[in-house]
Amino acid sequence: MDKLPLASLQQKLINYLIDDDPIVTHTIMEQITDHGNITRDVRLNIYKNAYHVRLKETIENDHEMLGFFLGDDLFDQMVLGYINAYPSDNTSLRHFADKLPLFLASHPPFNGHPIISEIAHFERLLMIAFDAANADRFTRQVLSNTPHEQWPELIFRFHPSVQIANFNYNSVEAWQSLKQEQSPEPAIKQNSIWLLWRNNDRLTQFRSLPPQEKYLIDMILNGANFADLCDFLLQEIEEDQASQVAFNYLLTWIDDGILIQKAFTQPK
Amino acid sequence: MHNLITNQATAREHSLSSGVSGIVPPEHFLGFGLGLRTDHFQDVLATKPNIDWFEVVSENFMVDGGKPKHYLHAIRELYPMVMHGVGLSIGSTDPLNMQYLRKLKVLVNELQPEWISDHLCWTGVNQTNSHDLLPLPYNEEALNHVCDRVNQVQDFLGRPILLENLSSYITYKESEMSEWDFFNQVARRSGCEILLDINNIYVSARNHDFKSQDYLDGIDKDKVKQFHLAGHTDYGNYVIDTHDHPVSDPVWDLYKQALKRFGWISTMIERDDNIPPLAELLAEVETARNIAYSTLGQLETLPQWERTT
Repeated sequence: MDKLPLASLQQKLINYLIDDDPIVTHTIMEQITDHGNITRDVRLNIYKNAYHVRLKETIENDHEMLGFFLGDDLFDQMVLGYINAYPSDNTSLRHFADKLPLFLASHPPFNGHPIISEIAHFERLLMIAFDAANADRFTRQVLSNTPHEQWPELIFRFHPSVQIANFNYNSVEAWQSLKQEQSPEPAIKQNSIWLLWRNNDRLTQFRSLPPQEKYLIDMILNGANFADLCDFLLQEIEEDQASQVAFNYLLTWIDDGILIQKAFTQPK
Repeated sequence: MHNLITNQATAREHSLSSGVSGIVPPEHFLGFGLGLRTDHFQDVLATKPNIDWFEVVSENFMVDGGKPKHYLHAIRELYPMVMHGVGLSIGSTDPLNMQYLRKLKVLVNELQPEWISDHLCWTGVNQTNSHDLLPLPYNEEALNHVCDRVNQVQDFLGRPILLENLSSYITYKESEMSEWDFFNQVARRSGCEILLDINNIYVSARNHDFKSQDYLDGIDKDKVKQFHLAGHTDYGNYVIDTHDHPVSDPVWDLYKQALKRFGWISTMIERDDNIPPLAELLAEVETARNIAYSTLGQLETLPQWERTT
């Protein structure tokens, strides 16, 4: 028998792990020695079983509340479907389920209930916030050390953990209910925007964003300075309140820990 | 680039003295350690247990920031560390994953570990990852391939790596030599060093019907730098390397034999599942220490209060 190149042997074993086709199983079986009390089938199956258990555990750990939402049977169906649809292509298991929201949004029966994909998306955002890069925060102290005349030119930067997400259903509320070991309300269509980040105590935190605050945050993301934010608020509220409202927003962001110290002034 | 930890514990400060009996462990001997797990972060920092070093799983900290890194840095300030990887895939026929290696190098710079290790295996091919430690066929083609890649990795990292033997359940028809012969030749040819997992030798010996002692005898004495000790699950006909039990008696016995052959080798307990309270694992580390002392002679440990960091 001709020697089988290493690359072919490796491909045959990987094929066996991800494909239940008996021909694929037979192909790798041919390459395995039969000896001792255990059959080749049992030997190979140790690897196949470990492959499925490991990936299932990864999804269970990443998506605990989604698991409660779906119940065991649907969760198992999801896991099997996802493992078959998206074999892992990343070195790190941390990224294995990155495409789970996409899978749930496009595969029946899950795509018939969009809240399922949204809950999965929310859980993945929490994970991103959890171990995003560190950065020194913008504090009240830093603000008070900044000369008042420079405040209008202050341009803020968000902490690397900050995520903003739109939801079309009561997905985050459902997630919160499950976290508190309560039954979630039935899915209802409602638009909401959420801010997620890792706070000063390194805990992942989230809250809903009112439209006005979302607009201000978008302005900052587009490079607006503090004076620009005040100008926008002048169109929204009474002139004598605008600067106070802007200041209150700033203090909230500082206390939440979503701004980083590398705010800078840039005269226009 | 992350801030380097400026106040790192070094092995020298934690070294075990030779005592009155004239026993001199080799320079690289770190003592007796434990695999650091998330469950124990807070306990370690709160109790500062009397343990010589920790091993961390590299991939768990290839993240940008957050709580895990915060704890890692805090613990690194107190203890010497070694880094142990599961994702290098040194035996894969895919090109080396340079993105992975760059992240590894960043972490090495950050932690300044005593050494870094991974496994003599492959984990995936053609962009599909099994996230498992899959065995290689033990033949000349695989040997050349692995040695080539070890050289590349060592050149990139600028230091030798350690490779670890794995537990395995299959033997390929393409194999032409024993695992220990293959392993030893990899170490000799590539200049890498050896992390010998005593439990894995036991597990594979049971699954493939060879003698554990033959494995120990087939490895060059001067190549081994670290021992792993772990638990397994015995299914009668075969044994699976589950890392979810305490170290079993046959593995402790094999550890004694390994000590007799290789002498003072940095030893640690590795537990990955069904993780018990820290105290239970520390007791297992003490068991390893006592077995080593009764086999090789007593060493004196520096009292906790004499440790400087």
